[in-house]
Amino acid sequence: MFDFSIWTNWIDQFLRTNLPEFWALAIEFVVVGVIILALYCIIALALIYFERKICAFFQCRLGPNRVGPYGIFQSVADMLKMLIKEIIPINHTDKFLFYLAPFFVLIASILAFGAIPWGNGLQILDFNIGIFYILSVSSLGVIGILLAGWASNNKYSMIGAMRSGAQLISYELSAGLALMTIVVLSGSMQLSTMIEGQKDCWYLFQGHIPAVIAFIIYLIAGHAETNRGPFDLPEAESELAAGYHTEYSGLQFGFFYLAEYLNMFIIASIAATVFLGGWMPFHVTGLDGFNAVMDYIPSVIWFFGKVVFLMMLSLWVRWTFPRLRIDHLLDLEWKYLLPINMVNLLVMVIVVIYGWYF
Amino acid sequence: MENIKELILAKVSDAVIEDKQYLTVTVKPEDLRTLAKMLRYDEGFDYLIQLTGVDYGDSLGVVYLLAKSEDMAVCIVIKTATADKENPTLPTVSDMWKAANWNEREVYDYFGVIFINHPDMRHLFLTERWKGYPLRKDYDAGRDVNPLDLKSYDMSDTTVSYVSEGDGIKKIEKNLFEEEDYVVNIGPQHPATHGVLHFRTALDGEIIKKIDANCGYIHRGVEKLCEGLTYPQSLHFTDRLDYLCAHIYRHGLCMCVEKAAGIEVPERAEVIRTIMDELQRIDSHLIAWSCMCQDMSALTAFIYGMRDREKILDIFEETGGGRLIQNYNVIGGVMADIHPNFVQRVKDFIPVMRKGLKEYHQLYTGNVIARERMIGVGVMSKETAIAYGVTGPSARASGIHCDLRKMAPYAAYDKVEFKEIIRMEGDSMARYMNRLDEIEESLHIIEQLIDNIPEGDFCAKTKAIIKLPEGEYFQRVEGGRGEWGVYILSKGDKTPYRMKFRSPCMTLVNAMDTISRGGKIADLITIGGSMDYIIPDIDR
Amino acid sequence: MKSVYNYIISIFKAVYSLAQGFEITFKEFFTKKITEQYPENRKTTLVTFDRFRGELVMPHDENNEHACTACGICMMNCPNGTIKVVSKMVEAEDGGKPKKVLDKYYYDLGKCTFCNLCVLNCPSKAIHFQNTFENSVFTRSKLQETLNKEGSKMREKNKE
Repeated sequence: MFDFSIWTNWIDQFLRTNLPEFWALAIEFVVVGVIILALYCIIALALIYFERKICAFFQCRLGPNRVGPYGIFQSVADMLKMLIKEIIPINHTDKFLFYLAPFFVLIASILAFGAIPWGNGLQILDFNIGIFYILSVSSLGVIGILLAGWASNNKYSMIGAMRSGAQLISYELSAGLALMTIVVLSGSMQLSTMIEGQKDCWYLFQGHIPAVIAFIIYLIAGHAETNRGPFDLPEAESELAAGYHTEYSGLQFGFFYLAEYLNMFIIASIAATVFLGGWMPFHVTGLDGFNAVMDYIPSVIWFFGKVVFLMMLSLWVRWTFPRLRIDHLLDLEWKYLLPINMVNLLVMVIVVIYGWYF
Repeated sequence: MENIKELILAKVSDAVIEDKQYLTVTVKPEDLRTLAKMLRYDEGFDYLIQLTGVDYGDSLGVVYLLAKSEDMAVCIVIKTATADKENPTLPTVSDMWKAANWNEREVYDYFGVIFINHPDMRHLFLTERWKGYPLRKDYDAGRDVNPLDLKSYDMSDTTVSYVSEGDGIKKIEKNLFEEEDYVVNIGPQHPATHGVLHFRTALDGEIIKKIDANCGYIHRGVEKLCEGLTYPQSLHFTDRLDYLCAHIYRHGLCMCVEKAAGIEVPERAEVIRTIMDELQRIDSHLIAWSCMCQDMSALTAFIYGMRDREKILDIFEETGGGRLIQNYNVIGGVMADIHPNFVQRVKDFIPVMRKGLKEYHQLYTGNVIARERMIGVGVMSKETAIAYGVTGPSARASGIHCDLRKMAPYAAYDKVEFKEIIRMEGDSMARYMNRLDEIEESLHIIEQLIDNIPEGDFCAKTKAIIKLPEGEYFQRVEGGRGEWGVYILSKGDKTPYRMKFRSPCMTLVNAMDTISRGGKIADLITIGGSMDYIIPDIDR
Repeated sequence: MKSVYNYIISIFKAVYSLAQGFEITFKEFFTKKITEQYPENRKTTLVTFDRFRGELVMPHDENNEHACTACGICMMNCPNGTIKVVSKMVEAEDGGKPKKVLDKYYYDLGKCTFCNLCVLNCPSKAIHFQNTFENSVFTRSKLQETLNKEGSKMREKNKE
C-alpha cells in the first residue's frame, strides 16, 4: 500500500530546510487551501454531471448529451452560465444577512470537506476528535439556510427555512448516534485510527448486526441532512417554489447548489470512512494472496470507489421515492430512527463488552 | 314526471311548465327560491349541473340545470329572468347548492346580475376595473372601453355581499382574511397549480386555515367568441378548453349540434368516436397520475407516465393529424376515416398500458411514503361532493354514481360492458386509485370495440351552412375530470345566440377550500393533484 | 405487546414497499432509453405522420398550375382570419366574360389553429396540410406566407 505521507513529508522537509518555519507553513497552508478549493469545485462539477446522468438512466432518458462527448462538459457550461448571471438585488431584504447566508453554507461544507481522509497519508486535518469535528461543522450549514430564509423576507423562503431547522436538528441526532455506535466499537474518534482499525475487517462486518443497523440509519439520516429528496422539504419545489433559496440568483444560488452536492459527497465519504474502511482495501483474514492483490489497488481509488457506490445508493433513493410530509418526516426520526438507534447503541455496547465482534 | 308538474304548480301557481329536452319551468324571480327549495329538499334535485346567464334582449335571465344524485339522467331546467337591466338583481341559490357560488359570480361578471344574499359577490374572471358586462348583447367591445393596461394593481382583501333589508338592498363589506393570518400566495405562477391558478392560502404554521381561489388569469372569453362564429367554427375552441380531454369535449359539442339539427351520425363514426374518447380518457388519466406523482416529487414516476402517454399521442397523430388537439370530430361524424394502422396500433398499445399500470402500482401505489401522504388526506364526503356539484372520478371516489357513460349512454357506450368505478373513502388515495382503475376499464371498452368497427361512412353528409332550429339544447358528456356540458340557445341563425360550457374543473377548485382546510401545505398539493383540475377549462 | 408487534411489523412493511420501488427503478435503469435525439434522428427514427397538420400548402404541378378558383370559401370558413384570398378579374382570351382568378393567397401560419376547416370545405381540393413541423422563425412577419407561386395560374379542368 503506497503511503502518500512519504511525499508530503518530503515536501515539508524540503520547505523547512530552505525557509524559516513561518514561511514554510504559510506556503503549505496556501497550497493545501488551493488544492482543497480546486478539488471542491471539480468534485461538485463531476457530481452534478454524475447525478444528471444517473437520474436520466433511472427515468429511461439519456441525460445531458450535447456539450462534449456524452455531455461531459455540461456541468462546466452550467457553471459558466451561473458565473456570468446577474445577481439580482432584492428590495425589502436584510442585505447583510442575505449576502452572508450562502457563505455560511459553503464554509460549513468546506470545513467538513477538509477533514476527509482521501488516501493513505492524504489527510489534511487529523485530530483526536475527528468525527466529532465533522459532525459539528457540517451542522453549521443549517445556520446559513435559516439566515437565507429569514433574510429573504419571502414567505416561501421562511417556511422552507423553518422546515430545514426542524429537519436538520432532528436528523443530526440520528446521524450522531449512529456514528457513536461505531465509535464504541473502534474506541477512537480519530479518523486515521478508525481506518487503521479496519485493516483486517471493515467495521460494518466487525460489528455485524448493530453496525449494519447503524449504517442504514446513518445513510437515512445523512441523506436527510443533505436536504435531498425524499427529504427535500426545505426546497420542496412543488410546494414552496424553491424554498429557502427562492430569492437567490446567479453565483449566490450557485453556492447553495455547490454546497448541496458537496454535502452529499461528505456524507458518503464519512459513511465510507467509518463503516467501509475509508481508503482501506477489502481484506479477508487468512487469504494473504487475495489481500496482497487488493493492496495493489491504490488507496485513493478504494476511497472514491466506496464513495461513488454510496452516492449511487443515495441517487437511487432520490429518484425513486416521493417527498415526505413534514410531520411524517419528524415521525420517522422521533418515532422510528431515534428509538431504534438508542437500543442499537446499547446493543453495540453489550457486543463490545462481551467481545462478540470479529 | 307528471307528478312533479302538479307539485310545482301547487307550490308556484304561475309557473310555466314546458316539455322540452328536459322539463323546463319558468318562474318569476320572487318565486325562484320557493321552487328551488322544493326541488332541492323535497324532490332530491341535489346536483346543480349548470347555471347559465342569458341576455334575452329585454331581460337578463338565468338558466339552472338540476339533476338528481340518485339518477344523474333525470334533469330539470329552471328559468328565471329580471327585466331590470340597470340594476338587475336575482335571489341567490348558493345556500342550497354550493356549486352556485362560483357560477353566480360568473353571471355577475358577464351580465352584471347581482345575487342577493350571495356571500361573496366579487368578480370571478374579470378584474374589478373591467367596464361593462361582456356577454350582454349591447356590450361595447371597443378597444377604448377596456384599454390594455400593464400596471400592477393590488388585489382586494375584502369582499362584498348584498343583503336584502326591508325594501332596500344593503351592501356589506367583509374581510377575506383575519388580521393576523399568514397569507401565502400559491400561484398564479407556481409549479403545482397545474396552470395559472391563484390560491391565497391563510396558514397557521404549516396548517391551512383558509383558501381563497382566484382564477381568470387565462380567461379568453370563449363563450363570447362562439357567439360570433358558426357551429363548425366554434368546434375548435372546445379542444382548447380542457386540452387533455380535447376529443371528448369536441364530441360533446358535436353531439349537441347533431341532435339539434337532426343529423344522423353513422354507426362507424359513433364507434370511432367512442374508441377515441376512451384513448383520450386514458391519456388524461395518465397525465393526472403523472402530475400527481410529480407534485409529490416523484419525478421518475412522472416520466414513466409520459413515456406511455406518448404512444397514445402517436395514435392520435396518425389518425387525427394532431397530438394534443386533434380536431378530429366534426359535425356529422369524424373528419377522416381511421388510418389503416390504427387498429394494429391500438391493439399493440393495450398490453403496453397494462404492463405500465402494473409498474405504476408497484412503484407508487404501494409506496409507504405515498400511501401515508394520500390516505385520509383531503376527505371529500358525499354531501360535500354533491353540494359543490363535483362529478367525474373525484365524485366517484366519494361514492356517487355519476358516470354519464352508464347513466345516460351516448355514442357506443350502450353497446359495451364496463364497470363504473366507485370508492367510498373520498380521500386522495381513492381519487388516485379511481383514475388508475378507470384506465383499466377504458382499455376494456377499447378491447370490445376495436375489432367491431362497423363498415360504412365515417361522416354524415351535412348542409354547407348548419342552422339550428330555435330553442335550447343541452348535452352532457363524461369528460376525464367530470361531467362536461354544453348549453346552446339558438335563435335559428347559423351562429349560437348563447353558448355555455359547463366546466367540471370549476366545481373541483370551488371545493378545494372546504376539503383542504386543516391540512398541511403539502396536503394542498396532494389534494390538488388528486382532484386533477385544469385551468383553461375553468377560465374558458 | 400488540402495539410493539405492530410497530415492528410496520417497519418491515414499509421497507418492503420501498424495496418494490427500488426494484422498478433498478429494472428501468437498464432498459432501452426513450430519448429521441432531435435533430440527429431526422433521417432515422423521427416519424411525422402523413396526416399531421403542420402547415397549409397549395400544391402546384409541373406547369406551375394550381387548382384554386379563388372562390373564398376557405376564407369564410376560417375561424380566425388566417386566410386571405385576393382575386382579380381577367379578360378571357377568347373574348368571353371576364373571369375571376387568384391573385394572391395569403396565409398567416402564426394565427392558424390547424382546425382543417379550410381543407374540408375546399370544393376544388386546392389546398391541404403538409406534415412539416419545423416552422420556427425569429419574427412573426416571416410566418405570413403567400401560398400561390409567382406566375402560377389555375389548372384548366378539361385538361385531364
